[in-house]
Amino acid sequence: MDILKKLTDIPMEDYLVGGHVACQGCSASLGLRLALKVLGKDTIVINGSGCMTLLPVYPNTPLKVPWIHLAIENTGAAGTALYYALRRKNIKANILGYAGDGATYDIGIQSLSGAAEKNIDMIYICYNNQSFGNTGHQRASSTPRASYTTTTPFGKVETAKDMPSIMAAHRIPYIATACPSFPIDFLNKVEKAAEVAGMAFIDLLVPCPVGWGFDPADGIDIGRLAVRTGMWKLYEIVDGRLNLTYIPEKRRKVSEYLRAQARFSHLSDEDIEKIQAEVDCEWEELEERGYGYELGIFVNKRHPNM
Amino acid sequence: MRQMITGNGAAAWGARLSRAEIIPNFPITPQTAIIEEIASWIAEGEMNADFLPMESEHSVMSALAAASSAGTRVFSATSSQGLMLMTEMMFITSGLRLPVMLVNVSRGLSAPITLWSDHNDALVQRDSGWLQIFCSNNQEALDSVVMGYRIAEDNDVLLPMMINLDGFTLSTTREPVEIPDQSEIDDFLPAYDPEHTILDPKEPMSVGCVVFDEYMYFRSQQRMAMQNSKGLIKDVCSEWEKMTGRGYGLVEPYFTEDAERVLVICGSESAILKYTIDKLRKDGERVGMLRLRAIRPFPCEEIIDALSDVEEIGVIDQDVSPGSGGIIATEVKACLGGRNVTSFIAGLGGRRIGVEKYEKIFRRLGRDVEEWIF
Repeated sequence: MDILKKLTDIPMEDYLVGGHVACQGCSASLGLRLALKVLGKDTIVINGSGCMTLLPVYPNTPLKVPWIHLAIENTGAAGTALYYALRRKNIKANILGYAGDGATYDIGIQSLSGAAEKNIDMIYICYNNQSFGNTGHQRASSTPRASYTTTTPFGKVETAKDMPSIMAAHRIPYIATACPSFPIDFLNKVEKAAEVAGMAFIDLLVPCPVGWGFDPADGIDIGRLAVRTGMWKLYEIVDGRLNLTYIPEKRRKVSEYLRAQARFSHLSDEDIEKIQAEVDCEWEELEERGYGYELGIFVNKRHPNM
Repeated sequence: MRQMITGNGAAAWGARLSRAEIIPNFPITPQTAIIEEIASWIAEGEMNADFLPMESEHSVMSALAAASSAGTRVFSATSSQGLMLMTEMMFITSGLRLPVMLVNVSRGLSAPITLWSDHNDALVQRDSGWLQIFCSNNQEALDSVVMGYRIAEDNDVLLPMMINLDGFTLSTTREPVEIPDQSEIDDFLPAYDPEHTILDPKEPMSVGCVVFDEYMYFRSQQRMAMQNSKGLIKDVCSEWEKMTGRGYGLVEPYFTEDAERVLVICGSESAILKYTIDKLRKDGERVGMLRLRAIRPFPCEEIIDALSDVEEIGVIDQDVSPGSGGIIATEVKACLGGRNVTSFIAGLGGRRIGVEKYEKIFRRLGRDVEEWIF
């Protein structure tokens, strides 16, 4: 594995090229473009219905690698079948599942769980814009508490699911969170995901200018703020151990992140203080644990090729 | 090799002889014995395939589509509620023009819960763009699966194929079945070698794209494929007949040439109807039967040909579309434009029809109404 250290280490070759119809400032298409740079031409993408489904529009496609989209809830099931079919056909390729958070946390969790239980050798990246983005920003189980969506006009009441922990409970060998605003961190995780024998899951936070309400030019900054305020933690779970891969030296105030987005514009200063207190509390606990701790999970060392 | 096997066993033999490679599956009564049989063959090394236990029937159909897109020959079986859960993926599979094979062991739909045979499950999928064949006995189940791959995988067709066999009456009933030699089938059915869709980095393509105005064009291609399948089904059936001596077609006429009264039916209930016809003919009654073997493509020309000189026509539906009537009757009436057709709803949820009821039905033709035979 080549460890990437600086931006110029990222391969120049693109397998998702320009001219597609994703929104201005879309981090989800950026995430796919970056991931494919590392995974290379011998990769087959399985997409679950969502924003990225609009990349190939007949008769054009911006993808230079094979791509299949079936429906929203079956990226895991398709990955399972494709793994066995490619093995029969003697085709060596990375299988990349690229599905949104609604397609992963909600409607697709059953088939994802099935693929994880079988420990299928695939990389599953959930591009997480914290809502059903393609249909216009509706609430999902990945939507953070207090966020406005078109179906939670007064802010979401419930707390988001902890999907990486759910995946960890499936005992798959590699799990990570990431954000395209930290491309080196993200791509090193993609490399590890490709290298590991068995299933790898990456929860990729992709700030969405349309749904979240910010200027398309600010997407990278919003992602940086999500991480630097401590509201989106970058970590990986390997061999049952969770390790933070980025620790903000001095955490920025959550208000900087929240006030920059229309979806949180209804929050009062008091509301934001409460959120700050919760984030502080989590990080104090992490500090005590030392930014890395055992989850007490025995990882599945078997996968279908063994 | 002649063996006493169930309809489920016959369907499993069809998959084995066809050298199906990927078998995603999910258990449901009365289909389960098909996948159990295949599981044991794979475990014992008698069948070279990957057995993928999935987490739902939706995942089964998704896996069939994905594995077929990668160029492997695929097989699965389901029933009733399982087929309903597959519905979304049924349309996607046919739209992607993937020659997926599915055996549906038909069973009535909940609620209330029934385990017994009924055709509503299959007929819910009649608009899904799948080829659909209804079997009347276990031998036909085996033969139809093997022939089905030839039809589905043909470049002029490329549509998924559903083989229907009736739950319990066929699925768990043993009949003598001739199991062809593997070498014979290998000659008849070459390995699947797709030219249209393949997921291979050497030949990158995007599958399952968004379209705009072209949508209607793609749908019309499915219609053309269905039209092409009619001739091909006949050709493949006659080739099969030359090889095995067992002939099939889009329909099976039984004493229709000189009949005054004919009942149209599909599935295994046709066996007792034939017995009834033999009995009535001994008494001099000119009665006959037309069994529809293909429901998609719908054999309209064959129905018109067979029934043009018949005075009184009845259709037996083991299904119902509440608010409209018998589904097959509606389609038969559409073919026969204005002819007097009596529609009988019978045998729902496996309710026994039997000789006496068939005799009653023959007496009640010619009224152009819908009647429920309890």
